[in-house]
Amino acid sequence: MEKVIETQELSLNYGDFNALSNVNLPIYRNKVTALIGPSGCGKSTFLRCLNRMNDLIDNVKVDGIIRFNGEPVQGVGVDVIELRKKVGMVFQKPNPFPMSIFDNVAYGPRQQGIKDKATLKGIVEKALKQAALYNEVKDRMTESATRLSGGQQQRLCIARALAMEPEVLLMDEPTSALDPMATQRIEELIEELKKDYTIVIVTHSMQQAARISDNTAFFLLGEIIEFGQTSEIFANPRDKRTEDYITGRFG
Amino acid sequence: MVKRKVRLSEILLNSSVFLSTTLSALALGLIFFYVIREGTTLLNWELFTGNYHSRNYIAEFQDEQLQNYDMPDLSKVENVYPVDRFGIVLQEDIDLAGNGVVRVYYVHPDSPFNKMISKEVGTEEVDLDVGMIFQRISYVNHPTSLSRGGAQKFATELSDPQREVYELFFSDLGGGIKGSIITTIYLIFMTLIIAVPFGVLTAIYFNEFAPSNWITKTMRSFIETLTGVPSIIYGLLGITVFVPLTVRFTPAVNSNLIAGALTLSVIILPTIIRTTEESLRVVPDDHRAASLALGANKTQTTFKVVLPQASPGIITATFLGIGRVIGESAALIFVLGAAIKDTVNIYEPSTSLAVHIWSMMTDEPANIALSSTIAILILAIVLVINLSVKIGVKLLTRKGM
Repeated sequence: MEKVIETQELSLNYGDFNALSNVNLPIYRNKVTALIGPSGCGKSTFLRCLNRMNDLIDNVKVDGIIRFNGEPVQGVGVDVIELRKKVGMVFQKPNPFPMSIFDNVAYGPRQQGIKDKATLKGIVEKALKQAALYNEVKDRMTESATRLSGGQQQRLCIARALAMEPEVLLMDEPTSALDPMATQRIEELIEELKKDYTIVIVTHSMQQAARISDNTAFFLLGEIIEFGQTSEIFANPRDKRTEDYITGRFG
Repeated sequence: MVKRKVRLSEILLNSSVFLSTTLSALALGLIFFYVIREGTTLLNWELFTGNYHSRNYIAEFQDEQLQNYDMPDLSKVENVYPVDRFGIVLQEDIDLAGNGVVRVYYVHPDSPFNKMISKEVGTEEVDLDVGMIFQRISYVNHPTSLSRGGAQKFATELSDPQREVYELFFSDLGGGIKGSIITTIYLIFMTLIIAVPFGVLTAIYFNEFAPSNWITKTMRSFIETLTGVPSIIYGLLGITVFVPLTVRFTPAVNSNLIAGALTLSVIILPTIIRTTEESLRVVPDDHRAASLALGANKTQTTFKVVLPQASPGIITATFLGIGRVIGESAALIFVLGAAIKDTVNIYEPSTSLAVHIWSMMTDEPANIALSSTIAILILAIVLVINLSVKIGVKLLTRKGM
């Protein structure tokens, strides 16, 4: 299996607070990797390291190695914008921009200098189809994106990320703000997207991790306790703490 | 039913709430009532379009051939006195300062009053127009008659075939506020053109780019303090910095409109910065993160995602600024002068509406009626601005979010 992203001895500090320590984790191509663990265990922080969104926070210090396609992600000379084009992100709360549906999806390509209307239209349609939203919005492309339902908004955000044609899609609890029906649609979508993209998903729901992921990493207090195939982890956890967590004894 | 015990302190608190509300409403209502009662008598279109300075004429007849003139029907008009002999109709009226005057109500095209020669500038022809004011008539062999005698006296005297008109002293109406309205409009536009871009960009710097350290914190609280500084202090700044600057670099020789606009820009800048910053602050960080995660850079994120969402706030800031410009007087007396002008030139002194009020009130005697009329105009403008802010923000919010 080919590793798209790999971290070695990754640790991260917010000022004096140690959020991640000694994290070694491979992300395999065209697989869904789930990051699970109780609140504050560092799984979202880890996810944000992968596209360097932690840069936005003051006083963050990252040590260790992150490689994306063999190239280092950390460091002064790295082109962050190029990295973020290849590693897209979907956030916990649906966050469409207050503009039209079309403009939302076209936003990323436009910032890269694509102006041709036909090209943009093609990109937007393709992204919306991939996000299984096209049929619902094809007649209302100029409507404000904020009029969509929560689930539709989240799929729009996925489409917006896909419009950049990334290799990896990072999802930070993408369904935690959605109802069960919308959650199911997103999960089906993730299943579908796996064919073309590598997905890393942070989730609070063990069932979700079990349903959709191929690999699972269990985080606790900033460390990885266990990583392996999802079926393996849920059936025979090697560590006592993993077992306690997935059986609902804490977290 | 349980009888609830009402405490005395509660009654006191409640009654003071109601009392305060009533008093505040009463005070505000009284101001409006007073201004409207004093000002409505002079409220007319002529005031808004008329010149302030009246021109005086002294003239004599060119040709004293009299004829029979057909006069208009006056049965429905009050206070008018026809002079059939000369083909004119005089009217008892008040001028824009509220003083009684004798106005020309009608002039027959063939009337000798329509073909007079100025006695000041050689042989220049002057004619009497409708709306002009009769100040004085001098007769050959009869004593001179002044306008304080009223229109009826003038009319009776003129109708007397024994009297021969020697010369006539008359003038335009005057007292209009056209010049001050134009100055105010100039000030609004020039001030906004200077202050809004600077203010918005500064707010963007503080909210989006500035690191959070003691320097920016100090600057922030400094700007906050500037919002509350009395405008007369900005007037000092204007007269020591902007007036000399404009005199140095423009054709202006003393206080002028450009210096006024610059001073007002400094006055409204803190408000614009603060209001814009406030509206930038409520833009969700999620939107910034989403934009950055899509590979957009900081500049693109700021101007394509964040700034459009702050536009209702920027509009509010702009209109607050307009309100400030309209209401400002103290600083402007320094930098723009208090000389009322009819033709406005940006390199020369003139007065805004608020300063016009100041001029009227420092007149001897104070012209309260005209000041109240201008006050009504200012209140109306402020009301329109407030309403348009509300409507504009509502429309923008509905469109975007």
